[in-house]
Amino acid sequence: MMKSFALAGALAAGLLAGTALTTQAEAQTLTIGVRAGPESIDPHWSTLGSHAEALRHIFDTLVGVDENLQLVPALATSWTPVDDTTWEFKIREGVKFHDGTELTAHDVKFSIERIPEVTGPMSMTIYTKRVAEAIVVDDYTLHVKTNGPAPTLPNDFIRLFVVQDDIGMEPRNEEFNSGEAAIGTGPYTLVSWEPKGDLVLERFDDYWGGAPHWEAVIRKEIPNDPARVAALKSGQVDMINYVPATDYAAMLRDSSVETFIGDSVYILDIYFSFVDDLPIKVQVDGQEIDENPFQDARVREAFDLAINRDALVRVVLEGLGKPANQLMPPDFFGGSMDLPEREYDLERAKALLAEAGYPNGFEIDFQCTNNRLPGDAAVCEALGQMWARAGLTVNAEALNGTVFFPAVSRREYSMWMSGWGTLTGEASYTYGSLVHTNDPEVGLGAFNRAGYSNPALDALIQEAAAELDDDRRAELFKEVTEISMNERILIPTVQLQTVWAAKPDFLEFTPRIDQETLAHHIQPAK
Amino acid sequence: MIGFLIQRLLQAIAVVFVMSLIVFVGVYAIGNPIDILIDPAADQALREALIRQYGFDQPLPVQYLTFLGNMLTGDFGESFVYRLPVLDLILSRLPATLELAVSAMVIATVVGIPLGIWAGYKPEALSSKLIMGFSVLGFSVPTFWVGLLLIMVFAVELGWLPSGGRGPTQEVLGVELSIFSLEGLSHIALPAFNLALFKLGLLIRLARAGMVEVMSSDFVRFARAQGLPERQVVSLHVLKNIAIPIVTVFGLEFGSTLAFAVVTETIFTWPGMGKLIIDSIMVLDRPVMVAYLILVVILFVTINLVVDLTYGQLDPRIRTKGAA
Repeated sequence: MMKSFALAGALAAGLLAGTALTTQAEAQTLTIGVRAGPESIDPHWSTLGSHAEALRHIFDTLVGVDENLQLVPALATSWTPVDDTTWEFKIREGVKFHDGTELTAHDVKFSIERIPEVTGPMSMTIYTKRVAEAIVVDDYTLHVKTNGPAPTLPNDFIRLFVVQDDIGMEPRNEEFNSGEAAIGTGPYTLVSWEPKGDLVLERFDDYWGGAPHWEAVIRKEIPNDPARVAALKSGQVDMINYVPATDYAAMLRDSSVETFIGDSVYILDIYFSFVDDLPIKVQVDGQEIDENPFQDARVREAFDLAINRDALVRVVLEGLGKPANQLMPPDFFGGSMDLPEREYDLERAKALLAEAGYPNGFEIDFQCTNNRLPGDAAVCEALGQMWARAGLTVNAEALNGTVFFPAVSRREYSMWMSGWGTLTGEASYTYGSLVHTNDPEVGLGAFNRAGYSNPALDALIQEAAAELDDDRRAELFKEVTEISMNERILIPTVQLQTVWAAKPDFLEFTPRIDQETLAHHIQPAK
Repeated sequence: MIGFLIQRLLQAIAVVFVMSLIVFVGVYAIGNPIDILIDPAADQALREALIRQYGFDQPLPVQYLTFLGNMLTGDFGESFVYRLPVLDLILSRLPATLELAVSAMVIATVVGIPLGIWAGYKPEALSSKLIMGFSVLGFSVPTFWVGLLLIMVFAVELGWLPSGGRGPTQEVLGVELSIFSLEGLSHIALPAFNLALFKLGLLIRLARAGMVEVMSSDFVRFARAQGLPERQVVSLHVLKNIAIPIVTVFGLEFGSTLAFAVVTETIFTWPGMGKLIIDSIMVLDRPVMVAYLILVVILFVTINLVVDLTYGQLDPRIRTKGAA
């Protein structure tokens, strides 16, 4: 423990020296100011993106993803379905753990089985729920039996971090945090970490993917946006993630910082409640009415047509977004390239409302978060004003996520906006959760809080989710996407973009759609 | 004396119970932490299982009694987020907050009281008017705004001081502290000044008000009439008489600085308790929230006790009343 403190101190001292005098040592240390870090060093504790991002430096996953969330080999070099309920994974040979022992299929099997034993409230079991049994065929071959056909098992395993099989099944959080049990196969070894503090890493020279460039990496957690920007400008860190839109506008004119922009998986979607008895009633001319106008497809279309997505992107998001016409980026597995862009047509919106029996519009409350995603509150308030131009009175209310999410799950809202990211890069994750009827029997529709139900669409989603043939599955999900979007079950508005900033000419960085900032993918500027 | 202590102890216990109940009911009313923490890929069965695992399916009284039972045995539970014992987690942040709060109080006292005394001693002087103007600024400008301004000027523009974080720590009497190194001091300077500003304004005004009042009192006139040198009049008679309100406010302010340095800690990324509590509220990490507030109650009760005991030292009349 003492040793790690001494090393951390030395690294910090080296960093300071580095910022004062541009020395060779500076090029070897990378200091990143990040908005959020891990919750523990145990990689099986939490599914949070910031947790996975940090631990990817120390541990590897069985299946990897590229910067567009498409699958690539990692600790597994290949994966193939052997029959309807068995996947065969070939394990990479010659991979070394940080203590020098070699990785085998036993470690992978152990990691799969350890997850249900040690996971926390953000349960990792979502990634292993399809696993019936893991069987070691030989040291470099693993068979995974699934409960029913599971075509997306490799997608689930992009978060399957592999640990050594001799660490025991019980939670050993303190030993992970101190570094004793934090033995992975990743590009960096752990030097020190404390909750919400600095994560200090040191290069692992025997990394199977080739040793990374930076000898030492310090990830400082700076959740406050202005503080993170100040840390970069004052030279305390070399790079920061999640630059707020307001600062981005200023940075464009500032030669002392360089920015990097990438698309994110997050799309802000509008949800309508489909239940007969709305929790917050619609008012026409100040009178509450009993029917639910959102059950009428014309009303939903009118709301859609009254959204000026270009203005949302250009004005509200300072250019940091793209108009969205479906729930995930169209080129993700199961998306549709054939869906047209959404139109902005105020006259048609008014006509549709009149046709549906609301010539003077109506009044409704509309809730959203104000701290979850960049620009969420601003978009929500701007939407309220856009709908006002179509004759609707929409009372936008931006709430802290701590209040918003429990209320949504109690179904207290009639209409709301929430961000959704397709983090596995394929459609079953999104359409299975948001569009399928909420059906605990089949485990689908868990986040379908709108109460939408369409048996024909359900059947299609279930058929697609069990189809092992990739081409056929993509075709089926494309159909699901098109039906859901044309029905306007929920309305996508904008796809958010993410901004990173760094010292100018200091590094080369390719933004990732999952927003991860990985030190081993960052190179010094040439 | 013993009776006084026992009475205080009973009061503290009562306040702790009431606080824990209020926090518990409040957090329960907001909702279930699982709904904030759960992953979108989770299905209904997993959500139910997690709710059961953490006992959130139980009715409120049962949840509260379970918690209370554990607390009585000294077990505040584990943080949902970090899976670490809550008490360890909070106490590990205490040195950082303590360091910041003490530095802020030192700045406020060492600068504020002499300035206030001067302003009260020479109320008409220009320097006194400037001091009073500064004190108004001190407690009317919001902390977060001053904090950001300090960062912009001293860290970003001038580059003299770091913009946030805590310097390297070293162990002093078993506690990790950072103020004993030059680099540590450079890290603490801005947040400590930011935190001190409000108290600085308060202490200046208190010292001045007391000074003005006492300077016009009979005993000062008699002391002067006796021919005592001015320095002796002020240091011996006046200062002692303005000390009581200052000690009271000092004590309460010290407590609130420790407990609620939240804004400063957030802006300067100071890894103290205030930042921890904000992070915990964001995810409804109930064990941390409740344990933190209970510690705050204990802290305030202790500080008030120390303040009361100090009164006795300063003013013999209070001492005799207490003994009677």
